[in-house]
Amino acid sequence: MFLQLLISGLSFGSLYALIALAMVIIYKTSEVPNFSQGEMAMISTFVAYTLLGASGQSFTISFIGALIFAAILGVFLEFVFLRRAKDPNILSLILITLGFEMILYGFAGWKWGADQRDLPFPVSDFDIINLGPAVLSYLNIATLLITLILMFILFVFFKYSKVGIAMKATQQNAMAARINGIRTNRILSITWALSSLIGAVAGILLAPIATLDPNLMLDPLLKGFASAVLGGMTSLVGAALGGYILGIIENLFGGYVSIEFKSVVAFMIIVLVLCFKPSGLFARHYVRRV
Amino acid sequence: MDNKNLVTMVAAGLLLFTAIMPVQGAERGVSDTEIKIGQWGPQTGPAALWGAVARGSGCYFDMINAEGGIHGRKITYFLRDDAYQPPKTKAIAKELVEDKKVFAFASGVGTATGMAVKKYLHKNRVPWVGPASGSTYWAYPPTKYLFAVYPLYCDEAAILINYAVEKMGKKRIAFFYQNDDYGKEGLYGAELALEKYGMKLVAAVSAEPLDTDLSSHCVKLKDANPDCVLMWVLPKHGAIILGTAAKMGLKPQWMASSTLSDTPIMYKISKGLFKDVMVTSFGEVPESRHLLMKKYKEAHDKFAPKDRWGIFFYAGFLFAEPMVEALKRCGRDLTADNFVKAMETIKDFQGIGPKITYGPNERQGSRSFFIAKCLEGGELARISDWMTSDIDLQGVIKRR
Repeated sequence: MFLQLLISGLSFGSLYALIALAMVIIYKTSEVPNFSQGEMAMISTFVAYTLLGASGQSFTISFIGALIFAAILGVFLEFVFLRRAKDPNILSLILITLGFEMILYGFAGWKWGADQRDLPFPVSDFDIINLGPAVLSYLNIATLLITLILMFILFVFFKYSKVGIAMKATQQNAMAARINGIRTNRILSITWALSSLIGAVAGILLAPIATLDPNLMLDPLLKGFASAVLGGMTSLVGAALGGYILGIIENLFGGYVSIEFKSVVAFMIIVLVLCFKPSGLFARHYVRRV
Repeated sequence: MDNKNLVTMVAAGLLLFTAIMPVQGAERGVSDTEIKIGQWGPQTGPAALWGAVARGSGCYFDMINAEGGIHGRKITYFLRDDAYQPPKTKAIAKELVEDKKVFAFASGVGTATGMAVKKYLHKNRVPWVGPASGSTYWAYPPTKYLFAVYPLYCDEAAILINYAVEKMGKKRIAFFYQNDDYGKEGLYGAELALEKYGMKLVAAVSAEPLDTDLSSHCVKLKDANPDCVLMWVLPKHGAIILGTAAKMGLKPQWMASSTLSDTPIMYKISKGLFKDVMVTSFGEVPESRHLLMKKYKEAHDKFAPKDRWGIFFYAGFLFAEPMVEALKRCGRDLTADNFVKAMETIKDFQGIGPKITYGPNERQGSRSFFIAKCLEGGELARISDWMTSDIDLQGVIKRR
């Protein structure tokens, strides 16, 4: 039982990790937790579904199409709403993301309806490998691998690529970055595109297990957010680790302590972290920027 | 205060009172040519899947209007989206009763949503027939204007348990339920039914409506090694748990409540795992050759061709059938009280659902279901006759 809970925790945890990463990327550049992250991922997943179903495209094309759509959606939100904000303080930007969340949620309900959908995925959740008493499905493995690969790419991207370094510069001091010739606006757009794209990957990996409907990301988004808080909203590695830890804690808690309270574990963690280590487990201590 | 003043005040008060009293004969929502009927139903939000009920009732009323209405009156139907949120349901009830002046409410999806307006509707003498939920809260204790059509969740569970134990010889039964009234009433029903056989559930595992990861739930179920598992959850959770269980090698006989009886959808989203799952049904199966079903299907094709012909759509017909029957029995003299009297004369009335009987102080129309099985491809096949639950409801009511 322990091993199975651990494995299931890891595989769901990697989805939380992806969502946490997506949130952190945006948070780092603009200090805004993007609450529309989940719905952006959900809509992108629906785009993949539509491309697969109605247009009969292959999975690869649908997958890439959905990712392109996700990137465009991210840029669109940043360019059309956030950049236009009259009074861009953090609170009003958060409110804009919340508003956008509702718009997207309503749109999905109108466009695709409330029926549950099945997103065909080339890797099956029923083909399994036995690990002693526990099982691991191919889809779990794919999820774990894709998450690790994405994390590695992000790491390299931020460390070595020009755009990545420019992003970091914008994060640390937007004014100085601009003076040094970095087009910070463009960097922001790219940030949103990147974040939206990672969210979409999480959505597409989740849908085959959880079935696709407009509520797909309601719960995972909260969990992803909790993971980011747990690991540290300013640390990519921390957020990702936070995802895995949350996934495992949740499952072990459900298995050994109380299944009824399993779903509140994430919120307890948010509260505890904010009380005792507000910067998160893996981030440097929070220093208010002046 | 002297006496004269008091007399004037009382007189003025009486005058005012009679002025705002509705004039006899002009019943709210009823005119010479129309009857106004309202319904709330989630067209958006987490329960929108069941919103088809409200559209189904609309289609049913369209059909009746096309046939010439009831005693020369056409039904004007008001459908409002409450997104499954009780505060919105309250606003809708107030708007429809006080602004639109509806005569009665038909159905309405949800327990919490209905409970939010139950008292208000009663206070305003608004007849309400067939809430789309099998909760015991509607008819126990009975109230004058509220008539339940949907047989009870606890009865469903009891009927499935009886079938599993007596017909299939199941020994180790587990229960997977949603942690709210819907799930718990199912759980109580199952436990009561098992008591008869001197048995107990081998596991009872609950899920929250928003849960996505059900692996630890499945581990718990598997640990109990059940040969039969009853599900009292959302369709989405039904699909997730079947998937997780198949992966982990848990292969019991699955059974589910009528809320999961939309098998074409369930089959699809569970990637075929819903095959052989048994469900209780409160109405004919979609492919039924029942004469009324044919008629309703025609109405569907004519008035709501865009809606899928599924159980929740025609449940909108089913829950409103007794209401239409009573409207017919009432004749031209339609008032809330006459309507209630007409409802109380309904005995063994059967449309596409179970046999319905009301009486003075009897507000639960039926406690019967039949069992059906999901076939390859998602078609629902009936495998039993209508069966009536034999559990003692007091046992459920005490625990709720």
